[in-house]
Amino acid sequence: MEMMIATVIFLLLCSAAFALLSVAQQRYQTESQVLNSFQEARFGLDEIIRDVNGSGYPPKNSFSFNLGPPPANDYASTPVAWAPGYVSNTPCVIDSGTGVICTTPGNFDLIIERDVDPWRHDGVEWTRYQLQGTLLARAQTWKVSGGDPDATTSPAFVPYVQNVMNNASPTQIAQFKAVYPQMFPGGNPVPIFSYICPNATPPPASIACPLAGSYNSPVNITDVEITLIVMAPTQDAQSGLPRLIELHGRGHSLNPIQ
Amino acid sequence: MKRDRKRQRRPEEGIALLIAIFVLLLISVVAIALLVSSGTETALGANYRASSTVYYAALAGLEEARGRLLPKNPNYLGLSVPALVYGTTLPLGQAVYVLNQLPSETIVPWDSSDKYYDNEYQREFGVAPSSNSSVTSVWDNNVQGIPGPTFKWVRINAVTEQSLYLDINHSGSYNSSTPIFYDLAHLDSSGNPWPSLIESPSPPSTAVQALELTALAYLPNGSQKFLQYLVAPIALNLNPPSALTMSGNNVTFSVPSSSSFWVNGNDQFSVGSCAPGPNPIVGVGYTNNGDASQSNITTAIPSGNNSHFTGYGGTTPNVSYVGGVGGLAANLQSVSGLDSLVQTITQNADVTISGPATQNDMPSAMSATNPMTIVVNGDLTFNGWHGVGYGILLVTGTFTYDPDASWNGIVLVIGKGIIYSYQGGTGQFNGAVFLATTVDGSGNPLPPGSPLGSPSFDFTSGSGGNGVYYSSCWVKYVQTPMTYKVLSFHEIPQS
Repeated sequence: MEMMIATVIFLLLCSAAFALLSVAQQRYQTESQVLNSFQEARFGLDEIIRDVNGSGYPPKNSFSFNLGPPPANDYASTPVAWAPGYVSNTPCVIDSGTGVICTTPGNFDLIIERDVDPWRHDGVEWTRYQLQGTLLARAQTWKVSGGDPDATTSPAFVPYVQNVMNNASPTQIAQFKAVYPQMFPGGNPVPIFSYICPNATPPPASIACPLAGSYNSPVNITDVEITLIVMAPTQDAQSGLPRLIELHGRGHSLNPIQ
Repeated sequence: MKRDRKRQRRPEEGIALLIAIFVLLLISVVAIALLVSSGTETALGANYRASSTVYYAALAGLEEARGRLLPKNPNYLGLSVPALVYGTTLPLGQAVYVLNQLPSETIVPWDSSDKYYDNEYQREFGVAPSSNSSVTSVWDNNVQGIPGPTFKWVRINAVTEQSLYLDINHSGSYNSSTPIFYDLAHLDSSGNPWPSLIESPSPPSTAVQALELTALAYLPNGSQKFLQYLVAPIALNLNPPSALTMSGNNVTFSVPSSSSFWVNGNDQFSVGSCAPGPNPIVGVGYTNNGDASQSNITTAIPSGNNSHFTGYGGTTPNVSYVGGVGGLAANLQSVSGLDSLVQTITQNADVTISGPATQNDMPSAMSATNPMTIVVNGDLTFNGWHGVGYGILLVTGTFTYDPDASWNGIVLVIGKGIIYSYQGGTGQFNGAVFLATTVDGSGNPLPPGSPLGSPSFDFTSGSGGNGVYYSSCWVKYVQTPMTYKVLSFHEIPQS
């Protein structure tokens, strides 16, 4: 009798412990994935902010042009390169406005122009971030004198941050909003990159580039606001719902507008 | 019987202990899993916090040093380091450190055994600084005892092409012995304006020295970051071509018949070590030579007082067109340029007053040793004030002037562009006076591309005062740098 009671208690305790362990394991797996995504996204965000902070270095007026212009890849002629029209030096307008609309910089595409490490003495680099489906890809190439940053960086993409959901389909966005009502305002995709320019008619002194009037141009970008929405690779093991995190950052170019 | 009982009990012996150990094991596994999970989260949060903190700490150091280079800063670095006095060229090889130490901490950045040794200088210049000096940060814990940003030091030094690793003049080599300057009036090889860094052993008078600021921030967890600014002082750089300049169209002009009233373009009055130069400028300058400006001015001058309007060229009355090449800067002849100037002055003013204002609104701290930039948004009236103003006075409304008062420096009446005087007195303007109309008759701003309005210098025939006397020393003296402009910024990659 004693043995039977002990066995029953043992079995009950075992089942309770295993049930608890199972829940904990599921929780741990889900949280691990969320944390991995968080870590990857945070790392990516930090790097983008660092690139934006240093964009436009060295500025064009670091050179006296006494003996004519130095090679164009010695200096950054703009904090953010653009397309179309970079080669002909005709800046496009961001998102809306009078003129040709930029394909880059855009909501999901950004090319930063800067000398990443002046001590390597190898000239200015173009660093590009582009959302391709749910993959945020990164490319880094040398700035080419007379070259097109769009064409030059396109073959150089490598995967950077995975499962980026900023430009999810309407169906996915509806699913996400059911779990995270605050995300995806209006049920629309969320731009990864938003741009701030000086205001042509202050106040305020700075404003979103599409509202900046005649200053709406990639050459006038002073700040880039970054929003990354990343989804864990698998759904929540318990609830079966998607797990998303949203990270925000802002890079500010301290180099003067040319 | 005894043996039988023992045989029956044996299988149950110790089962409770086994169960207890097993359950304990299971619980431990769960607990460890939870701990690992939360530990990862904590580490991630901490890493991000450290990365951001150290960046902004270094930036705070750069901003402190940049701010303290300004003579107006109460903690002006020039007060304790003569080489950093505005207008002085900081010699190459001299490094000035702003130290931010913790309690009982002593930082010696030029000592290679110091925890916060500055190995970056050696990397840039190839040699150690020939002389070092230091001042404490406004945050220094040993002085203030209050927590602040965690930067450790900021270095201020002159730079060369080699240290910047920039071939500034595109000569094909990196000069290591000539300091770098920033010249707002520099021209490129085609003769077009190109404000830029220049490399020259004898820089022009329009050039100012570029200084490098390098900050090291360090956190207890070992995170560290080097950030670097290149900065140069930016002053208004107002170089009036005439003692009294009227920028605009069809200017209106009336002057007293008093024999004591002068508009004198000859340089005069010493200020400190500054002595007036030999070159006069125009007495009264106007910027439209195709309208009635010139005749409006000359016909208003009483013929007996022609010789009181003197200046460049010696003609009397000395009234000349200053709107062409070599005259008044183009930005001071356009609505947009003048609006921009007003905005710049306003942003950097010591005092901004909403009009209507009077002499009672003038700051009491203003003095010959502390000239101030004062902006009056609206009308300003001096009446019965026997004081003296020092600095830059910007009035956007009508400036009603009682010549009991004097002003040493620059008077800008930009907006309505009207200066009016009807009273007597013995005061005068020493420096320069500038008028421009950038609003319409209703007081609304003129569109940026439209022609300027008609400024008015209206001193009634019965009024007095001694008039306007050009003084290059006062003009220069009151134009201390408004800011140290960031010419470039970058983070120094850590090897």
